[in-house]
Amino acid sequence: MHQLLSLGLRVSTSSGHIGTVQQFIGGGGQGEVYQMQMDQQSVALKWYFPEQATGAQRQSLELLCRKGPPSDCFLWPLELVTAPQVPGFGYIMPLRDAKFKGIVDLMKRRIEPSFRSLATAGLKLAQAFLALHAQGLCYRDISFGNVFFDPASGAIQICDNDNVAVDDQTLADDQRVLGTPRFIAPEVVRGEAAPSTQTDLFSLSVLLFYLLHIHHPLEGQREAVIKCFDLPAMNRLYGSEPLFIFDPNDASNRPVVGIHDNALAYWALYPRFLRERFIQAFTLGLHDPLARVRESEWRATLAQLQDAIFYCGHCGAENFYESTLPRAAPCWSCRAALQIPFQLQVGRDLVMLNHNTQLFAHHLDPQRRYEFSTPWARVQQHPQQPTRWGLTNRSSSKWVMTNPQGTVRDVEPGRSVALAAGVKIQFGLVDGEILAS
Amino acid sequence: MAKRPGGELATRPLHFIWIADCSGSMGVDGKIQALNNAIREALPHMCTVANENRNAEVLVRVLAFSNGAQWHVSQPTAVANFKWQDLTADGVTDMGRALLMVAEQLRMPPMSDRALPPVLVLISDGCPTDDFSQGLQTLMQEPWGRKAVRIAIAIGEDADTEVLQKFIGHPELKPLHANNPEALVRYIKWVSTAVLKSVSSPASQAGVISSGLNIPVPAPPLMQTDVHTSADDVW
Repeated sequence: MHQLLSLGLRVSTSSGHIGTVQQFIGGGGQGEVYQMQMDQQSVALKWYFPEQATGAQRQSLELLCRKGPPSDCFLWPLELVTAPQVPGFGYIMPLRDAKFKGIVDLMKRRIEPSFRSLATAGLKLAQAFLALHAQGLCYRDISFGNVFFDPASGAIQICDNDNVAVDDQTLADDQRVLGTPRFIAPEVVRGEAAPSTQTDLFSLSVLLFYLLHIHHPLEGQREAVIKCFDLPAMNRLYGSEPLFIFDPNDASNRPVVGIHDNALAYWALYPRFLRERFIQAFTLGLHDPLARVRESEWRATLAQLQDAIFYCGHCGAENFYESTLPRAAPCWSCRAALQIPFQLQVGRDLVMLNHNTQLFAHHLDPQRRYEFSTPWARVQQHPQQPTRWGLTNRSSSKWVMTNPQGTVRDVEPGRSVALAAGVKIQFGLVDGEILAS
Repeated sequence: MAKRPGGELATRPLHFIWIADCSGSMGVDGKIQALNNAIREALPHMCTVANENRNAEVLVRVLAFSNGAQWHVSQPTAVANFKWQDLTADGVTDMGRALLMVAEQLRMPPMSDRALPPVLVLISDGCPTDDFSQGLQTLMQEPWGRKAVRIAIAIGEDADTEVLQKFIGHPELKPLHANNPEALVRYIKWVSTAVLKSVSSPASQAGVISSGLNIPVPAPPLMQTDVHTSADDVW
């Protein structure tokens, strides 16, 4: 039931292209989104409600169109659009691909991505907001509704970018978008601050906690005792009296069994380095905006989380490795004793060598951290002896390996190093060693 | 085998109750048909909002009042399973009785002690014929009655807006005047989508929060007929 534009309406973009409104996609608080055909291409068109189509919004969109997207994860405003006979304006942006699903689907368990996909999605989110903030912009409304991800790969798309603004810019209606409840930083909930890069960092941490725990980081005992969950209750929980459910120094807001089971189930699974990041984000970072976990820190932690995944030999479930993991610890899923695979210590990274592990420029070139486009190495079976596994050189340059006996051999592209404890590999720019637990 | 442990995000129930006037006057000029149509029209949108909502389990009921009141849909029904059965019009306007019956349902038990604020939508085209004040008083004695988001829609010119305003109980929220079927469709859609959304997970807007309300009720859709009474009103 759309109200703003009629289907078939012809509209024109600021560069003079003509498009036709084809289909209503959905409505929100600020306007309606349609599918539009332009130059044989389908794009999305957002049209504002008259009261939202302000001069300030228009200026802000013009700035965003001029600047261009911070990365290809953003469904960024491309051009302003007007229509004869229809007051106000809209803008066009790329259409979201159908393979990208909403975070709500994850919360309702309508999609069941792997831990690896979730870690990848989190890493890409951190990377995307790092790129946005690096341009001096802030998003102001990081939440469920604006982020979509591909459950198979963890690729992400970020939409609703029209509220993005220059950090600390004081637009006439700058106070209008405060964010989405449950994601808003406590100082914004309390009315002490306006959304900024620092408050984006809080919202990002909440979103990452939701992704990895299917739960909110502040909803524990204090939420359980609230009868009517209305605005005053929310303001208390997320604004005036926020307390992390796993605060190591204050146990008064722990998750309640029977109500907050997800938080309890997931927290125990994750390695200490991830838990410590969340503790930082929601203890110091809860009260001091300058002590929040930066996107680059999240990116590093989530890359580390990807590398820590290994599979239960019995049921195949993903588990997480850390050096303090006891020998024969049980799998979270089937409770069988876990067998820990070989690991590769490469530079600062410790990578579990699973049947499907791949190494990227991220691991093997210190100048190209967080580049995961093409694998430079992968774990593979020996073609004739399926019980033998090796690390195959998929790069274009040779490696040099040294076995535990001290024998040195070249590993040309396409050749593999048999996995064995104590094998050292010079990858060119970094050195690695295969370890056994 | 589950790839990851745990279940869905924890939710709270959100009880949504339609309280519909089915008095004889609703049978005039197709008003009851327009109401049936408007709610049926709004249901898919309500379903979408509920479906996109991760914090609430939306449960719908319908109470009809005329000579006395009775539950048209008595069981709290998940919106996905909710089918609208047509209401019919006959009798007087026992609105007070209706509020008494809603109050009984908002008592604990049967209400759980943890929930989102209930949404009560009162739709009427006339004046109460019974003790409205006592019904309202009983409702407001219940904690969930006081915490409920109470919305009222006046159909046509003869509705008792003073009574509806008392039901709402907040001066900043006014009864909505639906003077034609189009307006009714808009308002019913607004209450079953925008209001529903605000109660469970408010949209990312500020400036809609009124000081006296415990949830941020969004602005209702602006209707031409709010300003000028249209000449081609059907009622």
